[in-house]
Amino acid sequence: MKSATPVVAAVGSTKIASEHRGCNIRDLMTEAVLNCLADAGMGDLSAVEQGLASYESDHFNLQMTLGAVLHDTIGMIPKPNVRIEGGGATGALALRTAWAYLQSGLCESILVYGCEKNGRGVSSRTANQLFALSADVDWEMMVGGNYTGFYAAMIRAHMEQYGTREEHFAHVAARNRRQAGYNPIAQKPMDLTIEDVLNSRPVAEPYKLLDCSLLSDGAACMLLSSEDWAKAHCPSFIERPRVNFVATGCGTDTMRLGDRYPHISNFRAKREAAGQAYAAAGISDPLSQIDVAELYDSYSGVEIQAVEDLGLAASGQGGPAVADGAFDLDGQLPVNTSGGLLGRGAPVGATGILQAIEIAQQLWGEVDPRRQVKDAKRGMTDTHAGIASISVVNIFERQD
Amino acid sequence: MADKVSSKIDIEIPEAVADDDVWAQFRQVERITLELTQSYKYSLGKYSRFFIELEKRRFMATGCPGCNKVYAPPRPLCANCLAVTDWVELSGAGELKTWSVLHFSPGSNDDVRALETPYILAYVLLDGADTLFPHLLKAPLDQLRFGMRVRVAYNDGPVQHPIHLMHFVAD
Repeated sequence: MKSATPVVAAVGSTKIASEHRGCNIRDLMTEAVLNCLADAGMGDLSAVEQGLASYESDHFNLQMTLGAVLHDTIGMIPKPNVRIEGGGATGALALRTAWAYLQSGLCESILVYGCEKNGRGVSSRTANQLFALSADVDWEMMVGGNYTGFYAAMIRAHMEQYGTREEHFAHVAARNRRQAGYNPIAQKPMDLTIEDVLNSRPVAEPYKLLDCSLLSDGAACMLLSSEDWAKAHCPSFIERPRVNFVATGCGTDTMRLGDRYPHISNFRAKREAAGQAYAAAGISDPLSQIDVAELYDSYSGVEIQAVEDLGLAASGQGGPAVADGAFDLDGQLPVNTSGGLLGRGAPVGATGILQAIEIAQQLWGEVDPRRQVKDAKRGMTDTHAGIASISVVNIFERQD
Repeated sequence: MADKVSSKIDIEIPEAVADDDVWAQFRQVERITLELTQSYKYSLGKYSRFFIELEKRRFMATGCPGCNKVYAPPRPLCANCLAVTDWVELSGAGELKTWSVLHFSPGSNDDVRALETPYILAYVLLDGADTLFPHLLKAPLDQLRFGMRVRVAYNDGPVQHPIHLMHFVAD
């Protein structure tokens, strides 16, 4: 056993959809794993040493110990397996955990497989009720609170403190859904004007329908390993530029928004996670040193708060920076080229992995030319749980 | 003819599948409805006194004897000092710090299911507290502004969840 910077050996996913009528959760995971195998140019998983299952909800998936079920389904018995859960950050936390497994020398190859059925298996009312269980049940859920409401209260505080406007976050809603149109796996690409977003029906004011991300069915898979292992077992690896998983950071915050007073407009956990990841990757000026990023746009305004907390815009300047196009495809740092949670979709256990796949494919130069960031060398994912009670930042670099 | 499967929603059998579809033999789809309902014997634990006092129209918080921070909602253990806190009574008056106007209800319990939409989820800094208390604010939407004075209003129920023995109103 030996440790070394992990490399991305191969990736795979399903199409993301509001409902995969013909697939249960095992079928979805199977499809993503087979796509990952095809991407690797491998015939089977016999050489892979460790499995890591990434999913959030026993309730949505209607299967406890799903990690064991999936591990069995894809034929990885009797190799070791572990399940990781971290709310909305589950997929990113799974990759972070895989990074630690590889760095520790516990294994040289690990298959991170994530999935969720958050789509139309239950009504959106039931979905909101189940998601509200991930808030503080005693104090937030029982009064009638829900996540759209918590995020809405946060962005309202941001608007009051900094003058952020609905037009600013409508820009995110329109841009990310437009970019989803260049991603063949995206759930719901749309061509929208700012006015379309502003005129959509209110859900939890100031958020409107088109400010809200999607409920999705889907699965995604990333094979991480040492460089030596990938060279020995993964034929496609030597054909591609090498992409290293160079750094990971993780921060936390109180469960309840009210306990963060007076700091209720932004995400302290993101600042912590980004600080750790940037230090480990030797990044001092992220806006100029990062070429492409997937940010956790669970709601359109969250991207504005995120660019501030990730050090990509000054505090309070996220709204104007976003609306000026700084993070558009032709801007200084293109974000959510995949379409993000707003346009590509968000099957929770797969979301953080889907973000990392987008970054890896950007660094490989393999995405649709309409969304390809030219000569992207370093990319970042930003993923969080709840209202960032857990936040994870992962950084990938192409090594030429 | 009666269906042999009572929960069956539908069966889909594709008319044709692609020649190169490796799953060609697996394209039939049957969907059924699964019903699961649960009820829990749920302890309110060390929060219980808050809810018992609500029945007496008293609003309780907890204070840390070490750092003097006052928690509303109460924390039995101060997260700063890991000291066991003391119960303190607050007046129930406070200030609106942020809010959202919800146009749908998550249906968390019978009390929430009975709410008319839109309703206001308010974050209130109670006088004497250091954290914001989340609850419903029953006030005209056009009255809402940052810093407006609000207070706890009590009712005699019956409610399903004791947190609904109170809400906020404009003061």
